[in-house]
Amino acid sequence: MMKTFSIGGIHPSDSKISKDCRIEVLPVPSKVFISVAQHLGAPATPVVKAGDQVKVGQVIAEPAGFISAYVHSSVSGTVKSVGPRKDLAGNNMTHIEIDVEGDEWIEGADLSDTLVTEIPEDNKAILEKIKMCGVVGLGGATFPAHVKLCPPPGKKADCLILNGAECEPYLTSDYRIMLERSKEIVVGAAIMKQVLGGCPAVIGIEENKPEAIKAMTAAVAELQKTAKGYDGISVMTLKKKYPQGGEKQLIDAVMGRQVKSMGLPIDVGAVVQNVATSLAVYEAVQKNIPLITNVMTITGDCLPMEKQHNYKFRIGMPLSYIAEYAGGVPEQAAKIISGGPMMGKAISNMDATTVKGSSSLLYLTAEQTVRGVESACIRCGKCAEACPMGLEPFLLQKYARNGMMDELEENAVQDCIECGCCLYSCPANIPLLDIIRIAKGDVIRIIRTRK
Amino acid sequence: MTTTIIWTIAILTVLGAVLAIVLYVVAEKFKVEEDPRIDEVEKVLPGANCGGCGQAGCRAFAQFCVESSPNLDKCFCPVGGNDGMQKVAAVLGVEVAVKEPQVAVVRCNGTCENRPRTNEYGGYQSCRVKAALYSGDTGCSFGCLGCGDCVSACQFGAISMNPETGLPVVDEEKCTACGACVKACPKNIIEIRNKGRRNMRVFVSCVNKDKGAVARKACKAACIGCGKCAKVCPFDAITVENNIAYIDFTKCKLCKKCVAECPTGAIHAVNFPVIKPKPEAAPAAQKTAPAAAEVKKSDEPVKKEE
Amino acid sequence: MDKLLVSPSPHLHTKTSTKSLMRDVVIALLPAVVVSVLFYGWSELLVLGVSVASCVLLEYLITKYLLRKTCTVGDYSAVVTGILLALNLPATTPWWIVFIGAVVAIGVAKMTFGGLGQNLFNPAIVGRVFLLISFPAQMTDWTRPQGFIGGGLDALSGATPLGLAKEGGVAAVADLDYLDMLFYNIGGSAGELSAIAIIAGFIYLLARRVIRPYITLSILVTVALFSDIFWMIDPATYTDPVFNLLTGGVLLGSVFMATDYVTSPMSNVGGIIYGVGIGVITMLIRYFGAYPEGMSFAILIMNSVVPLINKWCHTKKYGRA
Repeated sequence: MMKTFSIGGIHPSDSKISKDCRIEVLPVPSKVFISVAQHLGAPATPVVKAGDQVKVGQVIAEPAGFISAYVHSSVSGTVKSVGPRKDLAGNNMTHIEIDVEGDEWIEGADLSDTLVTEIPEDNKAILEKIKMCGVVGLGGATFPAHVKLCPPPGKKADCLILNGAECEPYLTSDYRIMLERSKEIVVGAAIMKQVLGGCPAVIGIEENKPEAIKAMTAAVAELQKTAKGYDGISVMTLKKKYPQGGEKQLIDAVMGRQVKSMGLPIDVGAVVQNVATSLAVYEAVQKNIPLITNVMTITGDCLPMEKQHNYKFRIGMPLSYIAEYAGGVPEQAAKIISGGPMMGKAISNMDATTVKGSSSLLYLTAEQTVRGVESACIRCGKCAEACPMGLEPFLLQKYARNGMMDELEENAVQDCIECGCCLYSCPANIPLLDIIRIAKGDVIRIIRTRK
Repeated sequence: MTTTIIWTIAILTVLGAVLAIVLYVVAEKFKVEEDPRIDEVEKVLPGANCGGCGQAGCRAFAQFCVESSPNLDKCFCPVGGNDGMQKVAAVLGVEVAVKEPQVAVVRCNGTCENRPRTNEYGGYQSCRVKAALYSGDTGCSFGCLGCGDCVSACQFGAISMNPETGLPVVDEEKCTACGACVKACPKNIIEIRNKGRRNMRVFVSCVNKDKGAVARKACKAACIGCGKCAKVCPFDAITVENNIAYIDFTKCKLCKKCVAECPTGAIHAVNFPVIKPKPEAAPAAQKTAPAAAEVKKSDEPVKKEE
Repeated sequence: MDKLLVSPSPHLHTKTSTKSLMRDVVIALLPAVVVSVLFYGWSELLVLGVSVASCVLLEYLITKYLLRKTCTVGDYSAVVTGILLALNLPATTPWWIVFIGAVVAIGVAKMTFGGLGQNLFNPAIVGRVFLLISFPAQMTDWTRPQGFIGGGLDALSGATPLGLAKEGGVAAVADLDYLDMLFYNIGGSAGELSAIAIIAGFIYLLARRVIRPYITLSILVTVALFSDIFWMIDPATYTDPVFNLLTGGVLLGSVFMATDYVTSPMSNVGGIIYGVGIGVITMLIRYFGAYPEGMSFAILIMNSVVPLINKWCHTKKYGRA
């Protein structure tokens, strides 16, 4: 019996069109704009100024607070300016503009392909390295990785879960790295597992990726045979259901435990990291390469097969440059999404640049994505059936429209994970999540001020 | 038969007496002592329960007035206005200072013509939802989002959307300056300003904090923070901060020098009588600002005669 | 498209719409409609036609001219109401009575509450019960009209099996063949004719994920258990479970009427409570009440407590005991 989470969930069409496209390396453009807000938490503080010479991998912004992260230059060259520029959402954010000259890396970076399987013993040094290399969670939330890997005092990790579910339709970047960089991911998992005190590690992959399951299982078996410190790592096949890759859903599926409302995964002994994060940890710890690259998928039903790509990009590349390199924006594209179609962000500004967590350029046609006209709620309960958190969206939206904060809190609006299952499944096209998302923010603010 | 009637009467009488005693005891025991003046004050209040005074509703405001009496400086009911406050003062037997009447002012002139759309918004029509998602469907990330949250927030029907410009229009007659729209606007575009002498006002109709060139590119009528208005102002009423000019309505003497000086027509002068329009200023204002309170211009002569 | 579209996530949407759901219900009703037309002929066709046409027309007129809001005729909900109302009436009902039923169903039970999604009671049942009380003679005239096939089935014409049992006791219905009733029931309103046709519709609705099985099954199980207990106590006075499941509107009601989205509870637990309530009330009316059949009344009574059930029964939330 394959495992999955226990409440709700939906089955949108898979659409992994680009799954057989090998990862290609994008050439560096003549100019990059690196945002200082590439992670959850406070934007980093720039430490370079116009005219400075920088190398690839050099720190250009430092964390501003506990939950924040280092930002490194992804190119070598001269800093042209440090100033506001419109981000993905069109809002002003400090970007560091660098004119590219050559490709000179910082000292100590190991650019070879050799697999380093021996894990350093000093956990503190490992954590420091993860932090210094600016590693953040690449599953979507971009939460600083080192913070997650240091459980607060009194809490112990029982299981490290590597998220290879990639439950969002269309996205194939995690799938590709699981095929092409399987061993590196396993080494990363072993490093994180050691830092967490030697708990078992489970790599959760959905059943619709049999080749990834095979590749990862083989990589684990081989490393367990040839090197030390790889015991207790296993691959788990999960049923295909959205949102399997949601942190709370994955913990439920793999461990059979549920995180309490407003709680953290570590409360039930779980630490969840994406497979791409694991790869970044490997590069940081074993190769001294900071997080300046990631893999993104260029896909969409309206793209011909030869224009489907999986690219290894560097941070700070303008999206328009990538789209152009990949063969241009297709005529039929009505909406371009950064991230998956369920939780990704619609792009209003193609001049925005790639960040650590960029995972795709997804082209959707008008037919696929334009919402129908809202009609009356027929109380079919499909939203409640679909909600993986067991909430009742029809009720929450009604309370939210009437500003009933106490009722919203009572009915757990703060537990919403914004997965979009409710809006996806509503036959009356009621903008459930649009409304609930705002109400959730309000209620969480009220709860915080109360404390 | 007779016994039945007698029994009925007897039982009902006893029952009535017992219940009366219970009611009396309960009423005495749980009696709430309340200042009778609160009721009286509440009677003269408008009863809109809009919260514009900062209290939970009209009853709470009445209580607040009674508590803070004789000094009513902190109490002001924007709906009742000065007349209303005089009534409250009369009830309480105190004096109250007259406050300048105020009105809500929309500080954005990003009409469809001035500020072309750069993308199309397809989500729930709410400014809060839209603002939480992104900067909006124009190049300006500070301007009006046009979904009408202010319209639904207004209890007095004083704000409506102008379908031609896509901007909200305040009906000065109906506006009570309660501030509900100010709170509803996620972009902080609406400001409560003094109505001004004969309703005449001069204000900067823009809140774009981008640098001049960026702001100008996004919107033809944007304030570019050039500071020309601040230099020309004889009364030091204008400050330029974060690339945006602001006119202090307590200092402004309505000389309109800044209006003529502004290169983008971002400064609006409303409700001025049309006597001898300066050749440059008037056409510029008319071209760029058909929105907001200017629409009410035609009503003007009637009002002045009053 | 010249400008990019931007909206909050999710960016994909299910193909299921209110319209497609209602269309599926119409499709699920087709077997029952076909069977009733085949066996009751032209007069049933007339009842169906008048009912559907007047429901749709009334919905159109009321939304357009009285409520002045977007017209909701296109979503098939009025068609569903029309078909259900027709299937709940005897095939001999005069057209003007059918029309009055439609007026009550759409005009009173649906539109006065604000239209689709707002009504407290199932419109078709309100229409049917109104007619049952207002026109008792016509509404219990079970003479069988000539059908397109099987004209000779009128062995027991004049009364429904339930009516016979009410008057004559168990002995009066002793010679009924249950296998017959499974395929084409004997006497009753048009939709009660064939159990198989309704079960086919039920399976279709389940397969298309239009409804969840909890409400229907809990009604059927309750009816079966309730009658089983009484039948075991005294088989001479009380009719047996199979008889009770196959007769009257139990199947039609539990599959199509009780499961109406708008007037049934949202949660599965709520649905079971609701179903058990309907089953118990139906059987109480059948065994002890004045009417031979209690499904309509039972559904209406339970409709009225749905808001309460919704208030108390919530879904199981993640991470909360």
